[in-house]
Amino acid sequence: MKLVGVLCVLAGWAVAVAGLFLSSANAVRLLIACAGIGISLYGSLGLLNGYFLERAIWKR
Amino acid sequence: METITHREDGMRSQQKITRLLLFALGVAGVLGAASPLRAEQIQGADAVLSGVPSPKSDDIAAKGDPGAEQTGTINDVTVADSKKGLTLADVANQAGQNKIAINFVWTLVAGFLVMFMQAGFALVETGLIRAKNANHTMMMNFMVYGLGLFAYWVCGFAIQMGGAAPIANLGGVYPLNHEFVTNLFGKPWGLFGTKGFFLHGATYDVGVMVLFLFQMVFMDTTTTIVTGSCAERWKYSAFAVSTIFLGALTYPLFGNWAWGGGWLSQLGANFGLGHGYCDFAGSGVVHAVGGLTAMAVAMQLGPRIGKYNRDGRPNVIPGHDLTYVLLGCFILAFGWFGFNPGSTLGASGNGCLRIGSIAVNTMLAGCTGSFAALLYMWIRYGKPDASMAGNGLLAGLVAITAPSGFVNTLSACIIGWVAGILVCLGVEFFDRVAKIDDPVGAMSVHGLNGLWGVLSVGLFADGRSNYGGSWNGVSGSVTGLFYGDAGQLTAQLIGIATLVGGIFALSFVFNWLVDVVVGQRVSAKVELAGLDIPEMGALCYPDFQLKASDYGAASSGGVSVAASAKH
Repeated sequence: MKLVGVLCVLAGWAVAVAGLFLSSANAVRLLIACAGIGISLYGSLGLLNGYFLERAIWKR
Repeated sequence: METITHREDGMRSQQKITRLLLFALGVAGVLGAASPLRAEQIQGADAVLSGVPSPKSDDIAAKGDPGAEQTGTINDVTVADSKKGLTLADVANQAGQNKIAINFVWTLVAGFLVMFMQAGFALVETGLIRAKNANHTMMMNFMVYGLGLFAYWVCGFAIQMGGAAPIANLGGVYPLNHEFVTNLFGKPWGLFGTKGFFLHGATYDVGVMVLFLFQMVFMDTTTTIVTGSCAERWKYSAFAVSTIFLGALTYPLFGNWAWGGGWLSQLGANFGLGHGYCDFAGSGVVHAVGGLTAMAVAMQLGPRIGKYNRDGRPNVIPGHDLTYVLLGCFILAFGWFGFNPGSTLGASGNGCLRIGSIAVNTMLAGCTGSFAALLYMWIRYGKPDASMAGNGLLAGLVAITAPSGFVNTLSACIIGWVAGILVCLGVEFFDRVAKIDDPVGAMSVHGLNGLWGVLSVGLFADGRSNYGGSWNGVSGSVTGLFYGDAGQLTAQLIGIATLVGGIFALSFVFNWLVDVVVGQRVSAKVELAGLDIPEMGALCYPDFQLKASDYGAASSGGVSVAASAKH
């Protein structure tokens, strides 16, 4: 799960950067960048943090 | 009558000197840094300035110069050839050197102020943790200076600034002239610098040294952010390895992309996105990198024993010295006057006189941040919380760091105000929703508000700044969405995506490896006893009696020691 989380974080970055090549319209690039940020945050705060919360010390 | 004539002569002489100096300054301005080679090209440069009157040393020797009218005159201009006497080229060279000297001194003094911020961070973080871990936390803050500096000298600086030349304010720093660039879909992407490892060879250069010192203390700020979030449970050995990696690779890499001529800074030139990613003094480069690294490590470390009950409700673990915290905040606010205004890398030429505006913006954002946080806590919890007022001040300062050089005072107040609210919301979010334990609130102060600072450039930059007519190779002034350039906002968002995606992932993976090889967290036994004796071998306060409850939050935290020991 940790690896999936890291890949998701990286995928968000890749999406944001790919937007530069996918369109020359600023509005589209802006939206793609926002989507990329969202994906990365899901990867870090959702997947990765979820993994650690499941094994949290206070749950034992 | 004689006195009047003498005075008129004196005035005429002064006018002559003034005209000559103005001419020389004009020549120096046109030529940039006046090198001897260029000075030779000045028409009549070898003209001897024998007619310029100068104060007599005998007069000064006899009467002194209490009014400072005869100190710092044409006599003080360095003459290259004493046989020939003072020439126009000498005056032009002196004017150029004076400009660079002003910039060197300004940048160095600003760097010294930033270095002193380490003391502020040490006090804030130590004050916010329990007394039983004070030595450990203080020593982490102390050693980021040594460890970080070493890593940065070995390779960090070269990776970050190895291709940054020319930087006109520091005389060019021409030895830093090589960036590793790859081509992607027909566009050049600067990835890292390759000059300046160990500061050897041609980088043994006065301008490079000034730049190194200034950039090094910035890197040091980044490394010290992490120690706060991970306090009270981080193995000292793991901290050391993690800090070296941050100073040697993570920070310099993003620093290169933003400040060293790398691909983010070229988003304007290559893709028409405003002036590319703009981060005047480092909300992103310094604070967001530090805050996100802190999040990556704190997440892996897990919360302190006693921080959460079995049902997941958080407990407050108060720090041991609020005086430390608030004194540290004041020291940091003082140091920030080096951080932001110093990032002009000069006080003379190329729009550097904007340092006054930058300093005022810094002051305003810090104050509004503190006020907003204080008000938020007062309304929500019924008391004006001291530690959050301090964090609000820091949040405002963090947020204004990127836009400080591009915005007006009203925008600075808004940015600071939003930062003050954001830091309170951030602390609540990480504490209650994400359940990532952060004893000092660094993820909210530096991570969240670092990102807000980066974003605010894309919103509030007013297009009135002018640092030599261009920024990141794009002519004109940096302008945000509210002043008509939506492209700048997109560039900032791509910077944020790089931070929350690339930089977070890099930090996470490296610290994952550290966890596997060294182990990140101390044992439960060590944690409950306090890290000072087991990790450092000495208590911070050996003559103080600690209360029994100081030796473990187990009784109040609801986690049994036996359960914790399994960790």
